[in-house]
Amino acid sequence: MSNNQQIFEHWLEGKISAEHCASQLQHDPLWYGRLQNALALQADATIPQFAAIPTVDSSALFASQWQRPAPKRSWWPQVSLALSCAAMLVSLSPAQLRLQDGSLTLSWHNPKAEVEAAVSTALTAYQHQQQQWLAQQLDFQQQNTSSQLVLLKDYLQDELKRDQRSDMLQLVEYLNQQRQSDWQYWQENYQPMQAGYRPADSYYLTPTDSGVVKP
Amino acid sequence: MFKRSDESLIAKALNGDQHAWQQLVNRHQSALFYFGLRLLGSKEDANDLLQDVLMVLCRNLGQYRGDSSFKSWLFGIANYRAMDMLRKRKYSDNDDALAELPDDAPELSQQLANNRQQQQVRKQLLTLPPEQRLVMELKFYQQFTFDEIAGQLAISGNTVKSRFYAALDKLRLQLEDDHVEQSANF
Repeated sequence: MSNNQQIFEHWLEGKISAEHCASQLQHDPLWYGRLQNALALQADATIPQFAAIPTVDSSALFASQWQRPAPKRSWWPQVSLALSCAAMLVSLSPAQLRLQDGSLTLSWHNPKAEVEAAVSTALTAYQHQQQQWLAQQLDFQQQNTSSQLVLLKDYLQDELKRDQRSDMLQLVEYLNQQRQSDWQYWQENYQPMQAGYRPADSYYLTPTDSGVVKP
Repeated sequence: MFKRSDESLIAKALNGDQHAWQQLVNRHQSALFYFGLRLLGSKEDANDLLQDVLMVLCRNLGQYRGDSSFKSWLFGIANYRAMDMLRKRKYSDNDDALAELPDDAPELSQQLANNRQQQQVRKQLLTLPPEQRLVMELKFYQQFTFDEIAGQLAISGNTVKSRFYAALDKLRLQLEDDHVEQSANF
């Protein structure tokens, strides 16, 4: 980029004045001529235009391109919402409208006290219910425990009887064994010796009739 | 009075606001019309160009992304359509524009310019090749920078400057010739 071009473009960008630019370029006919022509064009561009501008109706084009038909609104959802809100307000407000005995009365009540009373009642009922349940559970537990104790007692008694019976049987058997061994011992050791000492006409009975029965 | 930006008007127009669209059109239609008038040389052509550009603008309004100023984007459309019209009517290849000028020129000269120098400038602009005429129009009458013009025409900045200085040189020669002719007449 030549120096003159730089000067010229500085003027185009508004960095220097036309006079300053002209003084810089006046020695170069080419750039000075360009400046003169540019000044003439610039002067022409600043002259206001008076030619009538034709009216262009672009509304139809715009409407067909960008405007959408307004959606048909149904009022029912809004009505429904409004009635719901009204119902909520009526239910939450302290005002009460009562029709009683043919008379309509509007009264104000304290919803806080009502709520507290309702909560208190509910708590009392809950407490009573819990106590009943607890008593019932204790009763049931006791019954269960006692029945189990009875069963344990019966079992222990049966076992005790069975042990006693077994012990007695063992004792009897032991005694019988002792008696048999005693009898055998007596028969083997003392009976022959007794027979030797006893006279034939002894009033004692023979060993076989001695009355001792072999067990 | 508070003036809405082009971008906010576009946003409103895209939502179907007819008033915003009309404001946008009113803001730029005079510049577009005079642009066509200087570039094409007749009111009818300028009117056709204006209608054409507004139609294209309306259809493509949603494509404006704000990468450049709206005016620059709009004149990008106008440039393309104007060059298209010039090519179709072969203004650059014959002297139709100059032939039409006598019909419009007196009226234009009376309405748009009051001195002879301005008439000469308008006439000589019409004798330039369309590409050079367009660059001169965008530079002097629409006040765009070389970079903006390059962006609008999708060409390099050097090409824009080359066309600009070539046009200035031609105008210089023609102005000199006119001066010579005028002096000869005297």
